Amino acid sequence: MANLNVNSVTVIYKGNRIGIKDASFKAEEGEIVGFIGADGTGKSSLMHAISGIIKFKGEISFGKYVYHSPKEAEKVKKYIGFMPQGLGLILYDRLTVEEHLDFFANVRNIKMDKNFKTYKQKLLHMAGLSRFTEREAEHLSGGMRQKLSLICTLIHRPRLLLLDEPTTGVDPLSRLELWEILDNIRKEEGTIIIVSTAYMQEASKMDRLLLFDDNRIMASGTSKQLTDSVRNYVYKKTPCKDTDCLELHNVTYSLKPLNSEHKDPTLEDIFFINALKNRKKLTEISVSKRERRLEIPPIVMEAKGLTKKFGDFVADDKIDMELKRNEILGLFGANGAGKTTFIKMLLGLYPIDEGELTLLSQPIRSGRDRRKLKSKIGYVSQHFALYKNMSVRENLIYFASIHQIPASEALRRIERYGKELGFSDYLDAMPKDLPLGINQRFSIAAAIIHEPVVLFLDEPTSGIDVIARHQFWQLLKLLKEQWGISILITTHYMSEAEYCDRVVLLKEGKKIADDTVENFYKKHPEASNFEEIFLEYYREAN
Amino acid sequence: MNIGVIKAYILKEFKELIRTRMIFIVYAIPIIVIVLFGYGIKLDVTHSRVLIIDNDQSKLSRELIEKFKHSKYFNATELNISESKALKLIKQAKKDAVIIIPNSFEKRLIKNQKVNIGVFIDGSFPNRARTIENYIEGVIIDDLQSYAPKTSISTNVININPRSLFNQAMRDEDAIVPGLIGFVLLVAPAVLSALLIVKEKEEGTIFNFYASPISKEDFLIAKLTPPFILHSLNIFILFLIAVYLFNVPFRGSFTLYWFSSELYILISLAIGLLVSVVTRSQIVALVLTVVITVLPGFLYSGMIMPISSMSQESYIEAHMFPVMYYNHIIYDTFLIGEGLNSRKIILYLIILTIYASVLFILGRLFLKKELKK
Repeated sequence: MANLNVNSVTVIYKGNRIGIKDASFKAEEGEIVGFIGADGTGKSSLMHAISGIIKFKGEISFGKYVYHSPKEAEKVKKYIGFMPQGLGLILYDRLTVEEHLDFFANVRNIKMDKNFKTYKQKLLHMAGLSRFTEREAEHLSGGMRQKLSLICTLIHRPRLLLLDEPTTGVDPLSRLELWEILDNIRKEEGTIIIVSTAYMQEASKMDRLLLFDDNRIMASGTSKQLTDSVRNYVYKKTPCKDTDCLELHNVTYSLKPLNSEHKDPTLEDIFFINALKNRKKLTEISVSKRERRLEIPPIVMEAKGLTKKFGDFVADDKIDMELKRNEILGLFGANGAGKTTFIKMLLGLYPIDEGELTLLSQPIRSGRDRRKLKSKIGYVSQHFALYKNMSVRENLIYFASIHQIPASEALRRIERYGKELGFSDYLDAMPKDLPLGINQRFSIAAAIIHEPVVLFLDEPTSGIDVIARHQFWQLLKLLKEQWGISILITTHYMSEAEYCDRVVLLKEGKKIADDTVENFYKKHPEASNFEEIFLEYYREAN
Repeated sequence: MNIGVIKAYILKEFKELIRTRMIFIVYAIPIIVIVLFGYGIKLDVTHSRVLIIDNDQSKLSRELIEKFKHSKYFNATELNISESKALKLIKQAKKDAVIIIPNSFEKRLIKNQKVNIGVFIDGSFPNRARTIENYIEGVIIDDLQSYAPKTSISTNVININPRSLFNQAMRDEDAIVPGLIGFVLLVAPAVLSALLIVKEKEEGTIFNFYASPISKEDFLIAKLTPPFILHSLNIFILFLIAVYLFNVPFRGSFTLYWFSSELYILISLAIGLLVSVVTRSQIVALVLTVVITVLPGFLYSGMIMPISSMSQESYIEAHMFPVMYYNHIIYDTFLIGEGLNSRKIILYLIILTIYASVLFILGRLFLKKELKK
């Protein structure tokens, strides 16, 4: 029996930055252990330590091997398979699928005998890549790249498999297929599998979970154990003003018993209750009225048959969409479904190949039409376009000056946003030193400094922890209520559909569904969450 | 050492080099450099445009003008215009030099009196100007000397220092092309080997090395063999270009040329390896490699200036870089042919071997099989 035993492992980076502190856990053969937590909470650091590719303090043992450093870990590497974070990071763009498998086998010194060939065919089959053996990695989709990386990591039949966010950025269908492969492998080979993920929903596929927060393992156990441990603190929304209480949009947490009905706890709740227990104060977010009143038309954006082609590839195919006044519209779809391309067409970052676009009752035909509207539109891109070497305040002043807001007014607004959105303590810090959640809120401040009428947000919540994400949605809701703003947002977290008024589903450049969230649930009464509905549509469309 | 693993890596590198078209760069750049520089860097001057104003119109002055007209170094024209007009032509860059023969040129020469020949040269490019000046003086001296035996003209009447190499028709190609080989074989392999390792760091495929049981030695052999093989072919290509395109004589031993070049490529690869150990992105690796190879490769190659005539500091610096040793050997194989009979060449081969070994040992020591913190 080769079990894994991690004993108070600590990884510290340059400048005393802590990667992971005092992590201990055990894993048995055939077990899937899940690392769950936001970006920067230490999941990758711990994986790197276990794979023996970074220096660490503490002790790790696997079977009869004990190691304290990468050097000592060298002898276990032949039993380990490690897949780092990043879509197909370990692939060579110019090698074909088949060449990849042969290369990884050769590097691992595997005899190219009949056994190997059968195993290779089996892996290819599992990954659904049998038909694409001649294709170069460069031309594979994100999901396919990820599956190829996985089977390359599996080719030497590792006894210990470490996968760092294998499903991030992968569409829900490919995600399911990845999990099937993992389940087969651990059953057939008795492999220990350690998987990290930012998707709470995937927790149900794991035998044991480790929750990461603040660069520590905050809690561990099965999904049920973990949720049960907080069951007593989770209530249906009840007013509660106590310091032991936390009231969110549809749930209330309380450390003291409340005279109210309990609610089924989720893993996300654990993070809030942990914050509550540690007396971590959640930043209160508020938004005051617009400084200038505006007349807003009932339809803010209307797209008719919007099409974008890149050569032969149709990124967006005749898409009709409407964004109403005072509405949050969620744009959902797998990777490469055309979400970002669509937003970029709306913004004029890509020319529109076919179709008509009307923004704020103004038909958009030329750059001049757009320029008139610039002051009414706000945009946050996938990777917050902030200047890394300018402080938060300097960044905001810069964005204000782009919109020709007088300096005195800009400074006043920056102070106000800092207070309301809860980043006034960080105004003089550099964006690179701030947590992602703070950067995200101040990106929003930059996008709304000119008080726009409509806001386009492209995956603003990727990699952000549960609490920051919740605060972010609270902010969007307040903006809608106070400003009557319209928001078009894309995201990979299906659970965030609940915050939207309406949801549009895209698949391979086509619109496959468009309805209010309530109606989606009415049409699919059997679905317990939005992810299931999403998958339903994706399968139907196949 | 694990041959299977190394073979797999090498095969992969070759596939990538071919499919990314990098292979063209491996051969195109050295050829372009040697051809462009070989033709481009000419230290001697031919066909400089000279205007001659003959104020004497005598037999001697016309003979002197004929001498200029028949020299390949000058495109001489004779015009009777004023001095100031002639100087204007230099200003407009229409002429490189103006020679003014005074009216009593013949008379004074015969009487053995001092003659002042006015020479004006465009000094925009000082080196070129100096060369032209020397050539002009050379022609005049040459002309006078041909009269000296017949007449009583003494060559002392015109006080000039002719360029001594002038009449030997020393070819620039012979001096420059072998030096260019030393330059190219230092820069190109280093760039390639640096990129091949840093590319994996930048793209993340380096994890395949970190997380697998491949030893550091095997990884290095696998990574450096493809650039070594590819650039070994360049040794022959560059040789052929030098001998057949530039007609540089080859007087020494080809084996010595070949062996020392392979050794030199190893040094270059090791420099690339050291760069790739300290850098994380391809662009930084490229710039760093170019800076540390191009400058010494050019300055201390002996191409521009002989090492022996360098000042103290640069003399020491020249000895710190491998270029000088290698270039000494290949200048010998091309132009002299003393080969292993020369003690100095044997010593230099030993120095190059030590150089290569030290660099490889350093590269191996610094190569980490773990993430940098």
